[in-house]
Amino acid sequence: MSSAEITSGVAPTKASAPTLSLPLRTIVLWAVIVTFCVVPFVLVLAISFGQKIEGAAWEWAFTGENYLRFFVGADWPETTTTLYLNRLYYSLHYAVIASVIAVITAFPFTYFLTRMSRAAQSRWLVFLLATMSLSEVFIVMGWDILLSNRSGLPMVLRETGITQWLKDVGWFTQLREWGLANPRDVKFKTSVVATILTMSYLVWPYAVILMYPALSRLDQSMVEAARTMGAGPWTVVRTVVLPTIRMPLIGTVFLLFVFLLGSYVTVTVFADPSKQTLAVSVYEAVRGSTLNAPFGAAQAIILLITGAICLWLGQLLVNRTGSSAEAKA
Amino acid sequence: MKTGSNIFMGLAAFVVLLPIVVVSAAALNGGRSMLFPPKDPTLSRFAEFFLEEPVWRNAMINSVVIAVGSAALAVLLAWPLAFGIWKQGGKGAQLLAGLGAMPFALPPIVFGVGLGFFWGFGGGLGYIWSGIISHAILFLALPLVTISIGLQSIDKAHLDAAATMGATDAVAFRTIILPQMIPYTASGFFFAFVLSFNEFIVMFFVSSSAYSTVTLQIFNSLRNGFTPTMAVAAITFIVVSIIVFSAVARFGDLPRLMGADQSKN
Repeated sequence: MSSAEITSGVAPTKASAPTLSLPLRTIVLWAVIVTFCVVPFVLVLAISFGQKIEGAAWEWAFTGENYLRFFVGADWPETTTTLYLNRLYYSLHYAVIASVIAVITAFPFTYFLTRMSRAAQSRWLVFLLATMSLSEVFIVMGWDILLSNRSGLPMVLRETGITQWLKDVGWFTQLREWGLANPRDVKFKTSVVATILTMSYLVWPYAVILMYPALSRLDQSMVEAARTMGAGPWTVVRTVVLPTIRMPLIGTVFLLFVFLLGSYVTVTVFADPSKQTLAVSVYEAVRGSTLNAPFGAAQAIILLITGAICLWLGQLLVNRTGSSAEAKA
Repeated sequence: MKTGSNIFMGLAAFVVLLPIVVVSAAALNGGRSMLFPPKDPTLSRFAEFFLEEPVWRNAMINSVVIAVGSAALAVLLAWPLAFGIWKQGGKGAQLLAGLGAMPFALPPIVFGVGLGFFWGFGGGLGYIWSGIISHAILFLALPLVTISIGLQSIDKAHLDAAATMGATDAVAFRTIILPQMIPYTASGFFFAFVLSFNEFIVMFFVSSSAYSTVTLQIFNSLRNGFTPTMAVAAITFIVVSIIVFSAVARFGDLPRLMGADQSKN
């Protein structure tokens, strides 16, 4: 029996069946959801305690070695390496900056969008949804061309003489220190700037879509009242709009952050090998060169827990600012 | 304020379009390398992608089969979940829907790794059908949300009226609920379809290199550098997305699906 049969058994036609069959339908639904949505995560957790055996295979076990290796290295206590902690650090580093940039730039856009006519909003939403669903591989491809040394921005800067000008003014050495230039030209591959830029681009339409409901439900009469009382547009945004949507704003940052924790293609293409993230080493351990499934699973669990902790902190923050705002009112 | 906002929105649109335009233009390159602006513009890459190169043609067929299959399956699974919450409500139904939406909310690489193990034990690794099921589960949250939004808009007074006039639950479902729900169901289907079409990391773990979709094929070729044929894939994908979402906007209420306020028009 394939699961396609199971699911078609609970198709809408059955939804209106007599109430007698209800318990069975509920049991089947629970079984399907638990099997496919929960069991894979449980497997990752279970395997993360497993052991690698030589020759690219692994066996069930109950050992904390994989986690120990993550935090202090395999040869602890003789030597300590923080290689994987470093990767976790970069996962957080990129994701935090990129999600904050995306929200800051998407906020005014979304605000203007919700002030438009319904038809215009629809057209913008089609555009945003289309770019949002575009695969990471295509987006990376686009930015790769734009930032490549041969035909991208570095070429434009060179041809227009800006590179030369930067050298004359002396800012070029500064760029080199930031890792944005090789001895002769400006370069973006590989650099932290390119990684973060592509990541914020990746989640930017998500940021708009996530802030859209809150901003579109914003009470317009409050804005008008503030305007009537003589507040300028910026004052209105600062004192009326931002405080009312602060919670969805923070919530959006956290959702984008968790989404970016797992981004893989961008990092492999744009980040320096020494500055790669946990998602990359999960992939390497499970499918790539190192082939150590239990260790990969352990890293995936750590990624998941990090995400969960951040979401929980975000929730806490939102609740606290929410209740303090209520207390003030 | 008005001109300022227009300038800002125009600028944002420009930046969003920039990589897409560059990729699209690169598809016209006559040579083997991705240059912008394109050198010796030609359309032969399109023929290569759709007709001549079996690698790309097979990848395209796999992508379409998996996207259609998984979106349909996701809708079939989302219906009873959403209907359960709407009809009976209660903690159990909500928990069930929450668990169903979980794979979409967590980093996809973790779910991908988990499914890799899951199908490894279940014997589905490297088959198209397991890819279809995996994507259906991953994107279950989308039809779940659109169908739930749609069900909330149904006026329960209509159902009461139907019941008073002697309609059974089944008849009321067929004549009142189903017709109103078609746009929401279709939207959910298309959201799942487009995202499945573009998904990469979960499919990567589940396919186990036994077959490839277009996104996988592009990633596999990534190490050898990009070629203009890949750009054709990108164009195809964005065109499909725009058509699908335009259809959703045309036949459904896109601002409402995205959570806009109902009172304003």
